[in-house]
Order: sequence, then C-alpha cells, then structure tokens
Amino acid sequence: MSSKFLSKFVIALFSFTLIFAPNAQAKEYPKRIVSLSPSATEIFFAIGAGKQVIAADSYSNFPTTAPKTDLSAFDPNVEAIAAYKPDLVLLSADSNKSAEVADALKKLGIKVILEKAPTNIQGVYNEIGQLATATNHRTKAKKLVRNMQDKIAKTIRKYRAPNVRIFHEIDNTYYTATSNTFIGGIYKSFGVTNIADAAAGADKSGYPQLTAEYLLKSDPQVIFLADAQYGEGAAMVKARAGWSEISAVKNGNIVELPADIPSRWGPRIVDFYSIVGKALSAVK
Amino acid sequence: MKTEIERIWHWRSTALVTAVLLTVGLLAVSFGPVNLDFAKIVKTLLGMDGGLSSLDRTLLLEIRLPRVALAALVGAALATSGAVYQTVFRNPLADPYLLGAAAGAGLGATIAILGGQNGFHAALPLFAFLGGVLAVIATFFVSGSFYADPRSLLLSGIAVGSFATAIQTYLHQRHSAVLRTVYSWILGELTVADWDTVKWASIYIFFSLLILFSIAKKLDGLMLSDEEAYSLGIHPNRIRIIAVGAATLATATAVSASGLIGFVGIVVPHLVRGLLHRATNRALLTVSLAGAAFLVLADLGARTLLAPAELPIGVLTAFVGAPFFLFVLRARRLQP
Repeated sequence: MSSKFLSKFVIALFSFTLIFAPNAQAKEYPKRIVSLSPSATEIFFAIGAGKQVIAADSYSNFPTTAPKTDLSAFDPNVEAIAAYKPDLVLLSADSNKSAEVADALKKLGIKVILEKAPTNIQGVYNEIGQLATATNHRTKAKKLVRNMQDKIAKTIRKYRAPNVRIFHEIDNTYYTATSNTFIGGIYKSFGVTNIADAAAGADKSGYPQLTAEYLLKSDPQVIFLADAQYGEGAAMVKARAGWSEISAVKNGNIVELPADIPSRWGPRIVDFYSIVGKALSAVK
Repeated sequence: MKTEIERIWHWRSTALVTAVLLTVGLLAVSFGPVNLDFAKIVKTLLGMDGGLSSLDRTLLLEIRLPRVALAALVGAALATSGAVYQTVFRNPLADPYLLGAAAGAGLGATIAILGGQNGFHAALPLFAFLGGVLAVIATFFVSGSFYADPRSLLLSGIAVGSFATAIQTYLHQRHSAVLRTVYSWILGELTVADWDTVKWASIYIFFSLLILFSIAKKLDGLMLSDEEAYSLGIHPNRIRIIAVGAATLATATAVSASGLIGFVGIVVPHLVRGLLHRATNRALLTVSLAGAAFLVLADLGARTLLAPAELPIGVLTAFVGAPFFLFVLRARRLQP
C-alpha cells in the first residue's frame, strides 16, 4: 500500500465525516443528566428521556427503573454531583443555596436547569415542554401533555363538586394548604370550598396552621390526609377529641392520600385528580 | 412584727395572682377563633339547660378547655422550675432553656418518638426527663461547680443545649418521615391538646410541684452558706438534688406535652419577685399560679391573633421574654 493511497483514504474518511456532520449536532443534547427533583425524574422518563438520566436524587423512587442515588435534592453537593460527570443538571430552585450551586456547576462547564416549583397545572405543562426541548423529545412530550389535559378535563367534568367543604391535612398539627397553592389549585378546579382559605391572610406562601376550634366549626365534608404516608390514618383522625362531630368523619369521607402522588408535579398528577374526584363524588 | 407583715403581703400577692389567673382563664375559655355565646358557655359548664349546641359544646369541652388546662399546667411547670433553678444555682438568669434542660428533654423525647413512642402518654415525659437530667448534669460538670460564675454556667448551659439540639436536628434530618411532627413542635405549641395529654401532664407536673412546694423553706436555706444551712438542719446537697430532679421532671413533662416554649421560666419568677420585693421560695406557689396565668394568656394570643390560623406560642413568649431577659441582664450589671 502506497502512502499516497493512505493519504487519499484519510481524506476520504475526513470528508465522509464532514458529510455526516449534522449527526454531530446530536451531541448538543445531554446524554448524562443528573436529576435532582423527583418530579423532573418522572417527567424525564415519561417523555422518553429516561435513558439520558444517569443519576437521580435519593427521593426519585418513580419509575422504579430511575437511577436513584444518595444525592440530596434538598442539599445539593457540587462535588458529589460533578463526580457523575454530567452534561446537564436539573436543580430544584427551592434547594439549599440553589443559585450558588448552579453557578459552581456552570463554572465546571455543566449546563444547569433551575426548576421552579410550578404554582398551577399550566406550570407543569410548561416544565414538561422545557425538559422536552432540552432533551429533544418534543413530539412525545406534546402527546403526553395533550393526554394529561384530556384526562384531567374529563375528571373535572365528571366529578365537579361545587361548594363541597374540604380540608387538606399536611400534618397532625393542622397545617394545611389554601387555594393559592399548587395542590389547593387542584381542589379548586373541582369548585370546592377549601376551609383553609379563611386563613389565607396568615401565611403568604399559602400553608397556614389552622386552630382546632375553627376546623371543627367549619365542618369539612371531605378530609384529605397528605400525612397518611407518615402514618396518620383515618382511624386516628376519627379518634381525635371532638372530631366525631365533623361531617367527613361521620360519613367516613376521609381519604388517605398515597405517598408522593399529590406532592409531585409529574405525569402522575392525573391520578391525583381522579383520587380527588372520586372522593368528592362520595359526598351526597 | 416584720415577719407578720411579710406573711400578710405574701398571702395578698398569692390571692392577687390567683384572681389574675381566674380572670385570664375565664377570658381564655370565653374567647377563641370561634365565637361562643358567653351566657351559654356558663350554662354548659354548670350543666344547666339552654347551653351550647352539640357542636359548640364539643368545641368547648373537647378542644378549648383541655387546651387552656394544658397551657396552665405547662406555664406553672416552667415558671416554678425556673424559680427553683435560679435558687439552686444562685443565678438569676438560670432557666430551663439556658441550662440545657429543655433541649436535653427535647432530645430525649425525639429519641423516644423515633423508637416508636407515638403521642403523649405515660412514657414520653420519662424519656424527656432522662434527657433533661443528663443535660443538667452535663451543664453542671462543664461549668465546674454549683455556684459557678453566672457567665460560665450560662455558657456551658448554652453549649450543652446547642449540642443536644444538634443531635436532635441530625436525627430529624436522617428520619424526616418519622420525626416530621417534631418540626412544628420545636417552636412550641399547644395546638393538639386533649384530655389524655392533660391527664398525664397533670400527674407528673403536680407530683413535681408538690415536691418543690414541700421543700420551699429549705430552698431558702440554700441561699446561705452550706455551713449555715447545716446549722439549720438542712442538707444542702440533698435538697439540691431533689430540687433539680423535681424541676427537671416538671420541665421535661412540659416540653414533651407542648414543645419548646421559651422564657416563661425567667420572666415569671422575676415578675413575681419584683411584685413581692423579695426573693423567697415561700412564694413558689405564687410563681406557679403566675406562670399558669402567663401561658394561658400567651396561648389566647396564639389562638386568636391570626385566627383562624395559629401563631406558634413559642414565638409569642420569646417576643415578650427576650427583651425582658436583656432587661434583667442589664439591671444586674448596673448593680454595684
């Protein structure tokens, strides 16, 4: 083989690479994502970007195939994140020193998406769109959003419950959520009356602590236990002093909410709408 | 002659504080986030006809009354143990919080909750007591002696308290699911008070207060030198151990029933002493009653200021207590 031939071969190989250069653009889409938000992890997998996620935070337990690690979503550690050599990090804006952590990661040449917790369902669709654009999965994401919108609209239409009084219990000291919160907005879409709204002035972020007296007097017809995942069950609520007077307790309309579903703004939020709808339909 | 005047004054002040407690108690029962008709409240309480409706009745008897009762018990416990700590350690700034007893009790209770002790029953105060006693012993050893310089006692109390709080925070971080409720509890609250809690709290608190009242005269002997105390037939160390033990049990019960409510143990004893113009432990009963009145009033604020939302009571007592603490500190410094 002459050296001339070899050089021709090299040139040919080079031009071959050039011709297929558009292929190189695929490199722009991240292949090593670290997701430090359980909601975002669920979204990545639902839009088909799951294979691009190489590490997820310690609470990312859904889907079960998610690469859960012991990375903390609340207290992100730059070094621990960088050790995964990611090309994209999804960071919750609510995490500790999120702005500083994002800056430090950017200095290491890592792209960062700072995820703000959505305040309403439109925010969820926006985030799905944003993550789809970042990972090149727009078509599947659009389909997902349309599917979610359809199901949610159907559920609301079927189970609308105007003025039914509800209480969303965050813990057993009566912290709750007003209609101004993400979860409160979901209840509100069914037309219900959230008893927490009377206390909306007490906490600007929408999570006031109600007094037991007020709770009893406002007589909720459905009680949603977001603390059920921490062991607070319907039986314990029934046993509380004085609570037997509450309609929801009398009629057995106490809903033990499943873990995670109500607190994540991923695709599974659809399931939360049907849980709420079915519970509301039990009120006569 | 003089002692007679003192005795009359003492009983007058006790009567005065009792009247204040009754007034405050009446206010606390009458007012709340939900308006109840006063005449109907009285009729209900007296078991007469024409009382409250079934719902309002439950509201009054099952929610409001136990809460007022628990506030009174916790206030009495914290104020009395504060006064006793101040005597035993000869330190006007000693209080359940500054000595680390409350933080230790909080840690003990947290570990108990972690171990599956759910809700307030017989065992929780005992775990809290264990934590509290260990913290006081630690504070005491670090500071070197019983009558350590006030500053060194306070500093070691703060260090021990911070250490206990650090462990508690660590446990909280590691077991956030189990200890979730501990979070709101740290600020101190009486939100969830029922008769069961009141029952167990009253057993432990009355037991400790009775012990303290019964040794009140001997506690005054601790203000003398140990030799003088012996000559009066008082065994100083025995009294100290009993006093600190009983005060810590009262503190621990209060902490496990209502979380960390600060500054009651320092504000109330000083107010009562200011009222009496003398520092004697014979006024311990007055201190208890005043503590009860103080916390019942603070809790009325906690229930109504942001109604129908709740304001953590620990925030209220610190709001009044912290400036008061600085005032006491400054007044001491100005003394010759």
